[in-house]
Amino acid sequence: MKIAVCIKYSLDASEVKVDPASKELKMAGVPYKVGVIDKHVLETAVTLKETYGGTVHALTVGPTKAKESFREALAFGLEDVTLIENPLEGEVAPDVTAVILAKAIEKLGDVDVVVCGEVSDDGFTYQVPPRLAEALHMPQISFARTAAIEDGQLVADRDLEDSVQTVAAPLPALISVMEECNTPRRPTLLEAMKAKKKPVNIWNVETDLGLSIAELQQKAALEKVHAEGVVVHRKQYVLKGDDLNALSNELVDLLLADHIIEGGA
Amino acid sequence: MAGILVYSEKQQLVRELLGKARQIADEKGTAVAAVYLGESIPADVAEFGDWGADTVYTVASPLLVGLNPETYTDALAGVIEQVEPDLVLVGATKSGLEISARVAARLGAGVASFCVDFSLDHGFVTADCMIYSGVGKNTYKIKTQPALATVNAAVFTAVETGGVAKVTAVDAAIKEPALKIIEYKEKAAAGVKWEDAPMIVDVGQGMNSQDDLPIAESLAALFDGQVACSRPVSSERDWFPEWLGLSGKRVHADLTVTLGISGSVQHVVGIRDSKTIIAVNTDENAGIFSQADYGVVADLHEFVPIFTDVLKAKSAKLA
Ligand SMILES: Cc1cc2nc3c(=O)[nH]c(=O)nc-3n(C[C@H](O)[C@H](O)[C@H](O)COP(=O)(O)OP(=O)(O)OC[C@H]3O[C@@H](n4cnc5c(N)ncnc54)[C@H](O)[C@@H]3O)c2cc1C
Ligand SMILES: Nc1ncnc2c1ncn2[C@@H]1O[C@H](COP(=O)(O)O)[C@@H](O)[C@H]1O
Repeated sequence: MKIAVCIKYSLDASEVKVDPASKELKMAGVPYKVGVIDKHVLETAVTLKETYGGTVHALTVGPTKAKESFREALAFGLEDVTLIENPLEGEVAPDVTAVILAKAIEKLGDVDVVVCGEVSDDGFTYQVPPRLAEALHMPQISFARTAAIEDGQLVADRDLEDSVQTVAAPLPALISVMEECNTPRRPTLLEAMKAKKKPVNIWNVETDLGLSIAELQQKAALEKVHAEGVVVHRKQYVLKGDDLNALSNELVDLLLADHIIEGGA
Repeated sequence: MAGILVYSEKQQLVRELLGKARQIADEKGTAVAAVYLGESIPADVAEFGDWGADTVYTVASPLLVGLNPETYTDALAGVIEQVEPDLVLVGATKSGLEISARVAARLGAGVASFCVDFSLDHGFVTADCMIYSGVGKNTYKIKTQPALATVNAAVFTAVETGGVAKVTAVDAAIKEPALKIIEYKEKAAAGVKWEDAPMIVDVGQGMNSQDDLPIAESLAALFDGQVACSRPVSSERDWFPEWLGLSGKRVHADLTVTLGISGSVQHVVGIRDSKTIIAVNTDENAGIFSQADYGVVADLHEFVPIFTDVLKAKSAKLA
């Protein structure tokens, strides 16, 4: 069985701060890493491989400087990672990403299962997996909490707001998993050493995938015209001390003084 | 049809989307329609007229069951192709996120994810969207027609207009889906709606055990409030069927008290529309303190019962 996984070198959104005066997003120095969700994606793929046999190939669209960040992913037990150079300035849009990933999956050839995350840590659009399924004409099992192969079909629990459904899709199929689907392993030192010898291939969208950068630019449907931070004003009083009675009284007095609650006892 | 088409499988979300769509459409002199997809069409679909729809487009098919993404995509894409709206607003439920992206890929359209505001100018859409889990907001021009946008619950407000809608059945081609639903388990419905609660006690992983929940319940009871939780408390510990945050519910309480919540952005988005936030956490460096009006560095299990007693003693209204 040939498994393709889509992972992303993502910005750590929890480190983005907002300048309260200018509402500017402070992006300088915000770290990038392979996403939190991607560990669950990798775990799903590697578990499928261990259970049913096969190979796992990771694909990612991003900047070439991310190359070394994929060592940890390789240590999960993948065959290889292919980094497709982001052909656009700045972040890759979901519509463009899906087109590129679809082409790359076709190039890998004979892929039985594509594993994605439900949502990326930074893009946060939920768009890439369904767009990719549409482009590849594959059924998609979204919001998956489990993943198994039974009688040549992909079978998983799909977790929606009001129902949990056990669903089956004939291969080849795409599955997008939730964080709750598994607990990612921690690769051992030996696995990390072995991963050093595995390749991170670099592909170019034009020379390796036969796509036109000009056409991809055309495909990006959204044009960013403005960005700002969301400023929430909070009082940020912090009370501490060992005497919990005194702390409680202090807090209740503050709440009364600020008319958050009414007094009159 | 020029104008705005609205779809969600959640009827309340449809009404909210209609509320905003009606307002913009009136400003621009354009039309608003709702879409209903299902096995059969309920007798009361015309009631979307009450909430601002001029037309309700319906697709009925035995294949429209279980929110199967393939058949719902066929149906929604079919309606859009026939109706040709400028903008399609889709409720950002899990199913809505999935089928909006699939429909958009099929039609070569752009989707503005987690839209919180939009405008329509000569058929072109500009949308404000939440980014980085709610830390910021991007404004996008959507270059395609139709343009799609996904919108969370409680972003827009339903407004009763008393209008009358025309109901039109659409004949959309729906293929037999590759994906089959083998077993369908309905989730237990949550009790009282957190979204409407005047006060919320928000429990995080800092609470040791489910046996400690009465600590939170006693505090909530003083304010006729509700006890809610963070995602891991629901999805990993299974104490509640739902959670607050980006991928969960959002509350608009007068007062929210967080107990043992670290303050991740994804969680805070769910509570930041509260008027006042009090946070209790043992770690004085916890991020939640910068998101709260009042912070207390203490063990919730020890502090909250005392705090509850003092509240009762000092506030006649709460006693
Ligand atoms: C794409 C994505 C979407 C997400 N969506 C959501 C969402 O919608 N909602 C959500 O909640 N999360 C969401 N998350 C997860 C989120 O990032 C956090 O992991 C989660 O909110 C943390 O929950 P917590 O604060 O309960 O637990 P923790 O982060 O584990 O924090 C527990 C806190 O309790 C404190 N504590 C420990 N013991 C005590 C004690 N005795 N008394 C007082 N305090 C104590 C600790 O100091 C700590 O700060 C999402 C994540 C991703 C990647
Ligand atoms: N640049 C990318 N490279 C590879 N996979 C991606 C990329 N962006 C998104 N994905 C995949 O799509 C999922 C959802 O991402 P998003 O649509 O950005 O929320 C991720 O968990 C990945 O599996």
